[in-house]
Amino acid sequence: MNRHEKAKNFKQVNHSVTKIDALQLALGKDSYVADFVPNDALIIKMLWSPHAHARIKKMDVSKAEKMPGVKAVLWYGNVPRIVHCTAGQGFPEPSPYDTFMFDRKVRFVGDRVAAVAAETEEQALAALEVIKVEYELLKPVFSIDEAMAPGAPVIHDEPEAHVPIPIHYEPKKNLVAQVGCEAGSFEKGMKDADFTFDETFEAPYAQHCPIEPYVSMAQIASSGRIVITTSTQVPFHCRRIVAQTLGIPVQRIRVIKPRIGGGFGCKQEILLDDVTAMFALRTGRSVLWQFTREETFRTGRTRHPFRVRLRAGVKKDGTISAIGLDCINNTGAYGGHGLTVVSCSGGKTLPLYHCDNIHFDGKSYYTNLPVGGAYRGFGATQAFFAIESVMDQMAEAIGMDPKAFRQLNHIRENEGSPIFAALGEGREGTPMTVGSNALGECIVQGAEAIGWDKRSDWRGKTGRFRRGIGMACLMQGSSIPDIDMGAAAIKINEDGSFNLTVGATDLGTGSDTVLAQIAAEELETATDKMIVYSSDTDLTPFDVGAYASSTTYLSGEAVRKAAADAKRQILATGAEMLGLPVDQVHCEDAMVRNADGSKKVSYSDIANYSLYQKNQYQIIGTASHITKKSPPPFAAHYAEIEVDTWTGFIRVLKYVSTIDCGTAVNPTLCEGQTEGGTLNGISYALTEQYLFQNGRMMNASFADYHIYSMRDRPPLQTILVPSYEDTGPFGAKSVSEICINGPAPVIGNAIYNATGARINEFPFTPEKVLAAIQALEKKK
Amino acid sequence: MKLSEFIHPGSLAEARKALRGLGPKGLPLAGGTALHFMQSKTPVTAVDLTGLGLSYIRRKGGFFSIGAATPISDIQRYRSPRWAMHEICRRISTHQIRNVSTIGGNICRVFPWADLPVVLLAMNARMVIYSGKESEMGADEFFSSQPARLFRGGDLLTSVKIPVLKAQHGFGSVKAARNAAAFSLVTIAALLELDGTTIKSARVAAGSAIPFPKRLHEVEAALVGREAVTDVFKKAAAAGGTAAKWNVREGMSADYMRQLAEVSLLDALERAAEFARGRVN
Repeated sequence: MNRHEKAKNFKQVNHSVTKIDALQLALGKDSYVADFVPNDALIIKMLWSPHAHARIKKMDVSKAEKMPGVKAVLWYGNVPRIVHCTAGQGFPEPSPYDTFMFDRKVRFVGDRVAAVAAETEEQALAALEVIKVEYELLKPVFSIDEAMAPGAPVIHDEPEAHVPIPIHYEPKKNLVAQVGCEAGSFEKGMKDADFTFDETFEAPYAQHCPIEPYVSMAQIASSGRIVITTSTQVPFHCRRIVAQTLGIPVQRIRVIKPRIGGGFGCKQEILLDDVTAMFALRTGRSVLWQFTREETFRTGRTRHPFRVRLRAGVKKDGTISAIGLDCINNTGAYGGHGLTVVSCSGGKTLPLYHCDNIHFDGKSYYTNLPVGGAYRGFGATQAFFAIESVMDQMAEAIGMDPKAFRQLNHIRENEGSPIFAALGEGREGTPMTVGSNALGECIVQGAEAIGWDKRSDWRGKTGRFRRGIGMACLMQGSSIPDIDMGAAAIKINEDGSFNLTVGATDLGTGSDTVLAQIAAEELETATDKMIVYSSDTDLTPFDVGAYASSTTYLSGEAVRKAAADAKRQILATGAEMLGLPVDQVHCEDAMVRNADGSKKVSYSDIANYSLYQKNQYQIIGTASHITKKSPPPFAAHYAEIEVDTWTGFIRVLKYVSTIDCGTAVNPTLCEGQTEGGTLNGISYALTEQYLFQNGRMMNASFADYHIYSMRDRPPLQTILVPSYEDTGPFGAKSVSEICINGPAPVIGNAIYNATGARINEFPFTPEKVLAAIQALEKKK
Repeated sequence: MKLSEFIHPGSLAEARKALRGLGPKGLPLAGGTALHFMQSKTPVTAVDLTGLGLSYIRRKGGFFSIGAATPISDIQRYRSPRWAMHEICRRISTHQIRNVSTIGGNICRVFPWADLPVVLLAMNARMVIYSGKESEMGADEFFSSQPARLFRGGDLLTSVKIPVLKAQHGFGSVKAARNAAAFSLVTIAALLELDGTTIKSARVAAGSAIPFPKRLHEVEAALVGREAVTDVFKKAAAAGGTAAKWNVREGMSADYMRQLAEVSLLDALERAAEFARGRVN
């Protein structure tokens, strides 16, 4: 039996059980932060900076403080000045401490100036209007080139700005981070090549667009502690960062994450909770702050725009002799995630193909634009656009089919890459060999589904509407080795049900369901016997949170280990009840049985025995888990498109998204993640765009920012290709990030295949496509 | 825009009286979707038009008559011989918006991206306005500038009359947008009347990428009396490129919008001709 066929025998895992919160959400039961707000909660509104770069010369909030309904005003003059980082990452963070609750300087349009808490939203808004602010305008920095230029305005000139761990940080040069590595000799590899390439690519801003915007509520409990109910991916980081920012002990804060209406990375930042907590402390009242959609676009986190220079060499036999990847990201006004995202642009991409001579250099720069953060794909999305575009160019140069070229060069099972060891997130990585890899099968199945064999060269295509087929191969990771940690506890109840408590954070992905399936599989019971409670810093074990594609792989393994611990106790008690040695019993269908099934006792009976009858104790399993590996999921994406060569409009006729995520713990949820991420990637490639005027994002609404909805969904086929990752729970790896990395290079390659026009910058707006086609026509 | 009060009049006369009394503090309201784009902070009183029997589509004589409070989704779903309005309505925003947004709301306060004014200009529609009694106004006059000017005194649009297409008529419309629910980059509508293979008359209008929806008389002049063939359409479309000031839209240049408009004009004319030939045949 192949390893991946093990999953066929699972009873809970590898089954599409219904999401455990599905009914609650479908019925509209109180689930989200805003559902729990008491009627008398104060409403917070923020005065945002209208300027991209300015120093506040004078501010007067006295009138606002006296306005009807106003209970408190916060500004730099009345809050602690504690430098911190808003990014929810491992501690100490691999990011600069460059943020204050409020500062005398504003660094982008949408930076905080002052906040009001009032009885009503109208009162809060009215109070904002009477806050007098006098600004000294400073020269803004709106591009990477401007940021890097000698003598550029310094965005973070405050003396407190520093990094908490020894990483490269030069705020006087607007340099947030620099990281690099070299394997073999890149220069020699380029010399050995028969064909060389030197291309520069640009990847744009984007917003995550969760349906539920950022929202946070803070209350003061009877004990005097602060209870923060918030839409977050990182409740434990939230607690730590709020404590740090307010200068109070972690002990005084409880963070609760209810159901979440999507995050995709943007809720890995602490953007509201310090303010809600401070207002709760100042007023003693419940306070609510929720962003409008406009605020989410302008002030919320974004995907880092990247400039990627890719140099590569290939030999006529298809050997890739050199790859040089130079990535620069624009991290905007604050630097959280600047380093880690640029690190991942190399770390999550370069191992995909065999190459002995690799050079990587990553830099991150401040600008006076919206702030980059974590976003599904996390740097790999931007870099894969460059790598997979050049893969097609290399294949064409040596006269090889692009699919065959990738099949020749992609990493296989039991192979390693020097990049795994060289590039981690904020520090060196961890040596690793790939344990599970079904990329080869992904390529084959995807090619068949798209009809790759019918693909023809662009030179033979004529007429207004021209069709093309493109492809790309992808990888990502599963958690951050030696940094991420997840923990779980599971205890039995009298009826044989279990309370599973996890710090892991379900942000709408269905991870509570997936973790319940893993626990049930290990315990040999049914998933519906699991009562899952997650993400409450008072009541659940620690978990770093939902990011880095870690929940199923890392938190899932913590759950499996905790379940195994509980199972050991169940077996011991069951054996005692049956009068048999432990090694003569096993768990099956929520019972402890002997080999022939003639003696058995139910989990319910075992629970009652252990709780009430003899040698009483609570059967409870606990476990923590860290990992030494970050096993990549792999994917092959294909698209067939039609280009209107008169207007530049592109229609996606069919998209095929294959994925090797190891065992699909819940196949329907895996398909949902893959389909959603792919669709998001298609609109990132085609229609999503930040339009600026003097640093102000001008299209801050769903009317003007064109993220795809289901109305735009092209025919989209998802194919789960199984493999089995030995280090993951029941063979699972990650699934949710990788799928967004494909559409930009796939569509770029398809445009080339349709028209011969190669476009190195997306989104592929109709104007860009038309200009590229017209430029090509002129050359002819 | 903040609504402070709702008034539910029982008749057009009552509605008009209320609006006249309220002046700028009153607002006629049916679907209400335009409120999203009206930024005034002064609270207004809404005069609800949804109970006045203004939601219908009827064919009477040579016209389809559409009540002013008819949701766009109803127009999208309506079918009748010589009816062409569904095509553009299908492309307006989302199902949810089309279910509430009305034809009256779409044309009485014209936003730059509005599609229906373009279509109604091409179709030579007539607007029925209540000012104590009903009177009609042609689309050219109605859309000569912002139609909201006509309703400041409390007068109300009650219906839109669209001529029934005749056998030799052909209609085509094109809406170029970035995705399914996006506002239009360019909207073009063309009504051609053929006499055999010759274009007897033409009404062509454009919107979205120009400051205000308007007919493109230069395009029409390039069509009338000529053969309904692609070469003629291409020349007419090129005339459209210079007939209007095309604006920057969604980060794309004015020159690109001109090119897009020319192709859209060509497509609309081809569709209209095909429509007309189908009727002839």
